[in-house]
Amino acid sequence: MTHTISRRGALGGALGLGTLVLGRPHVARAAVKPPINIGYFVETKPTNIVKAQGLLEKATGQTVTWTEYGSGAEINAAIVAGGADIGFGSGSSPVAAAISQGLPVWLVGLVDNIGPAEELTVRSSAHIHSVADLKGRKVATPFGSTSHFRLLGLLKQNGLTQKDVTVIDLRGDAIVAAWSRGDIDGAYIWAPAKSKLLADGGSVFKTWDKLDAVGYVIADTIVARAGFAEQQPLAVTALLKVYGQALDFYRTQPDEAAKVVAKAAGVSPDVAAADLKEYDFISLADQLKPDWLGSQGKPGKFAEVLHHTAEFLVEQKSIKSAGPLATYQKAIHTEFLRQALA
Amino acid sequence: MAAPEPPHLWPWRVGTIAVLAVAWVAATGSGLVPAVFLPSPADLWDSGVDLVTEGYKDRPLLDHIGFSLLRVFAGFGAGALLGTALGLLMGWRGWIDALFAPFIEFLRPLPQLAYLLLLIIWLGIGEAPKICLLFLAALPVAAVAARDGVRRADLTRLAAARTLGASEWQVFRHVVLPSALPDILIGARLALGIVYGTLIAAEIIAGSTGLGWMIVDAGRFLRSDRVFVGVLIIGLMGVALDRLLVLAEHRIVHWAGR
Repeated sequence: MTHTISRRGALGGALGLGTLVLGRPHVARAAVKPPINIGYFVETKPTNIVKAQGLLEKATGQTVTWTEYGSGAEINAAIVAGGADIGFGSGSSPVAAAISQGLPVWLVGLVDNIGPAEELTVRSSAHIHSVADLKGRKVATPFGSTSHFRLLGLLKQNGLTQKDVTVIDLRGDAIVAAWSRGDIDGAYIWAPAKSKLLADGGSVFKTWDKLDAVGYVIADTIVARAGFAEQQPLAVTALLKVYGQALDFYRTQPDEAAKVVAKAAGVSPDVAAADLKEYDFISLADQLKPDWLGSQGKPGKFAEVLHHTAEFLVEQKSIKSAGPLATYQKAIHTEFLRQALA
Repeated sequence: MAAPEPPHLWPWRVGTIAVLAVAWVAATGSGLVPAVFLPSPADLWDSGVDLVTEGYKDRPLLDHIGFSLLRVFAGFGAGALLGTALGLLMGWRGWIDALFAPFIEFLRPLPQLAYLLLLIIWLGIGEAPKICLLFLAALPVAAVAARDGVRRADLTRLAAARTLGASEWQVFRHVVLPSALPDILIGARLALGIVYGTLIAAEIIAGSTGLGWMIVDAGRFLRSDRVFVGVLIIGLMGVALDRLLVLAEHRIVHWAGR
C-alpha cells in the first residue's frame, strides 16, 4: 500500500513541478545561463580540485559540463567545433600549434611550468649515460605532446636525428606495457607512467634544465574559445578565480588537497602528493609577471616560448607555418587574470 | 554479385563527382569555409606534391603506402586463408563447428580497439601486433562465410554424389567446395573491407609508418590538408583492392548467380 501512495505522491509532485516550470517560462529561462563546457585531463593537479569540489558551479551558478580529453590536440579540435569552451591544462605545444593555425584560441592563464615533471626515463640496465648512447635505441613518447617536443629538441640539440634514435609514438599506458616487455629503452613521459617506469628498473636521465635554458620550456595552460571569452568574460574570470582558490588550498593544506586530487585521479594519496610536488604550479599573481604572461602592453616571455615552439613544429613539418612573435602576444589575454585578482 | 552496370548510367556517376567538386571549389574559394574545416583544392594539391616529393616524417610516401599494403596483405592473407579453412571444416563437421563457433562468434563483433593494449603486452610494438590485429579482424568473417557456404550445399547433389560411390574427400572436393566458393569469395571481400577499416587501429600501435598512422598523426595538429590527402589515397586504394577481388571473383566463380 505504501508503495502506491508514495508513487502517487511522487507523480503528483512531478506534475506540479511540471506546471510550475511550464507556467512561468520567463522566470525559468532568465535563471538558466548557458552551460560552460570544460575540456580537461584526469591528472594529479589542482585543476582536478576545481572539478571535484564543484568550485566553478558554485561561483557562477551555471551548469558546468566536464569532458575528459586524451590530448591538447583533441581539445583544439573540440574548440574549433564549438564543443569545448575552455581547455583546462592544454600543453604549450598544442596551444602554439593552434595559435599558429589561426584557430580561435585565447590563452587566458597558466597551470604549471612542467620543468622536471616530464623527463626522459631510461632503463638502468641499458647503460645510457650520454645522449649519444641513445643511438640505435627505441625511445617512446606520445606524439604531439609537450614531452614529444622536448625529446625532439633534445635530439636536435645533440646533433641526432630520428634516423639515429627510433622515436616511437605510444600513449602512457602503452609505454608502461612496452617497457615491461623490454621493447623500449627509454621514454619521455609524465606521471603516472613515469613513476611506473622508475619503479620498474628505470632511472631519470636529466635533460630538462639544459633544454629549458635554450628555449624548450614547456608548460600547461588554460585556453578559452575566443567566442566564448567574448560572450562570457565573467565565466572565464570566475574559472581563474576558483583555480586560484584551488592553488591556495594546495599551498596551505597540501595533504588535504592531495586527498581530493587522489580521489579525482584514482590514485593513492601518497602518489598524488608525490606527483603534485613534481610540478611548479604558478600562482595567478606570478603569471602576470614578465617571466610568464606579462601585463597589458608589456607582453611577457611566454609569448616567446610559444613562438619558439611553433617555429620548431614548422621545422618538424607538424604545422605549415608560424606567425611572427606578435601573433602569440596577441593570443595571450591577461585581462581575465587581472579581473580575477582584482 | 552485382549485375554489370548498364552503360547509360555513367553520366550520373561522373555528374555527382563533378557537382561535389564544384561545390568544394566554391565553398573554399569564397572563403566561407575555413581551411581547418575544408582545405581548398590548391592546398590539397600543394600538400599532395609535398608528400610525394618530401615524404612524411622522415619517410617517403611510397614507404608509408608500402608498409600499409604489406600489413593489409599479411593480415588479410593469413586471416582469410586460415578462416576459410576453418570455416570449411566447421561447415563440413558439426563437432568442429561446436569446438570453434564460440570463439568465432565472440571475436567477430569485438571492436579491435578493445584489445589493442593486450596485443602490445603480448606481442610488443613491432609488426607482430599490427598484423595480428588485422588477422583477428579477417579470420572470423572468412570463417563464418565459408561455413555458411558449405551448409548451403545442395543436399540432393550430396546424396547423388554419395550414391554414385564418391568418397568423402571426393564429395568435399567436387560438390561441397564448388558450391561454397561464391560464399567464400564474398567473405573474402567482406574481410578485406574490415581489415582495411581496421588499418588505422593497427597502425596507432607504436606507429611511425603507414598511411593510417600518417592520417592520425596529421590529425593531431589539425593538418586537415594532409588528413584529406591521406583519406583520398587510402580510399582510392581501398576501391582498387576491392575491384581486384571482384575481378578474381568473376574469373573463379563465373557461374555464380546464373
